Amino acid sequence: MNLAMEEAIPRVVGEGKAPSTVRFWHNSNTIVIGCFQSAKLEVNMEACKETGTEIVRRFTGGGAVYHDSGNLNYAISLRKGHRLVPDGNLQSVFQRLSEGAVEGLRKLGVKAEFQPVNDIQVDGKKVSGAAGSIRWNSIFHHGCILVGSDLSILGRVLNVPRAKLEDKHVASVQKRVTTVRDELGRDISTSEVRDAIVEGIESCYGVRVDSGVLMKEEVGLAEELYQTKYSRLEWNLER
Amino acid sequence: MQAGPGLKTGPRITYPRTRKMERSADYKAAGGKLVRIRLREEAGQIRSVKITGDFFLIPEESIGKLEKMLEDTPLREQELRLLVDRFYRATQAQGAGVTSDDFVKAILATREE
Repeated sequence: MNLAMEEAIPRVVGEGKAPSTVRFWHNSNTIVIGCFQSAKLEVNMEACKETGTEIVRRFTGGGAVYHDSGNLNYAISLRKGHRLVPDGNLQSVFQRLSEGAVEGLRKLGVKAEFQPVNDIQVDGKKVSGAAGSIRWNSIFHHGCILVGSDLSILGRVLNVPRAKLEDKHVASVQKRVTTVRDELGRDISTSEVRDAIVEGIESCYGVRVDSGVLMKEEVGLAEELYQTKYSRLEWNLER
Repeated sequence: MQAGPGLKTGPRITYPRTRKMERSADYKAAGGKLVRIRLREEAGQIRSVKITGDFFLIPEESIGKLEKMLEDTPLREQELRLLVDRFYRATQAQGAGVTSDDFVKAILATREE
């Protein structure tokens, strides 16, 4: 349902029926694959069965990410032409809309930096990946921050192609990623990270973020998208 | 099949056997994104192709159009380049982490693997 909601919100924002929105959420253990990825090639199906990991496809491109309760997702939905990303360029969306999260992480003491195309890194290790799109008259950007995720499961359930690791001079996906917890050397909750990201967004973009509830239209559309798309094997696994 | 009473037997027409091949390549673009090609080739032409990977392309549905346009295209650089450029012009597609050149190189890389 979370991925259906990710699609419903920018659609409704694009129609002008909802304001610019930042949504925070997390899943229990799930692999979320990019819309162009082959589930068969990217995911270790056996390991998913063993660990009870679900596989869901999102509507945006980019790579597979492992979600568990130790990870925090944020999603920004704006109307197309918004002052933050006026040029309608996808690379600018990633850069500009990652800056709030970067600032939030820095407020916590994490030496975060945006790394094109779509990553936030700390000393060369990825702590967050983002994806996004420009469609439905909206600009959509979502990111997945590893707060205290179980990296050992991540290494098992994702098949990372050799070509992907070669230039990083590392042997496994586990060694290319880090968590906020590991960077700070202390336990930290996802809600503490969420509050820092909200602060980062407010100061970086000069906006105020008010908490609110989803609109009826958004919930209704998400339910419909879940039934017709995100709960279906042909969407999640076929490609 | 045997010729029936009303059928004349004639010279048997044979067609040259064409070589069908499954080809694949994982190509890493300069931006770090992976383009994974799985295609079926017959007599030097692409019969079908699947392009997957962790790149970005908007509108997202346009990837299906590119795959369709590539059908029956010779597996040669010049033709591929013309076709991929035509795809970008026709769809106004926009990529991040991948360029038209990357798609061409990824498809050509299937000849090497």
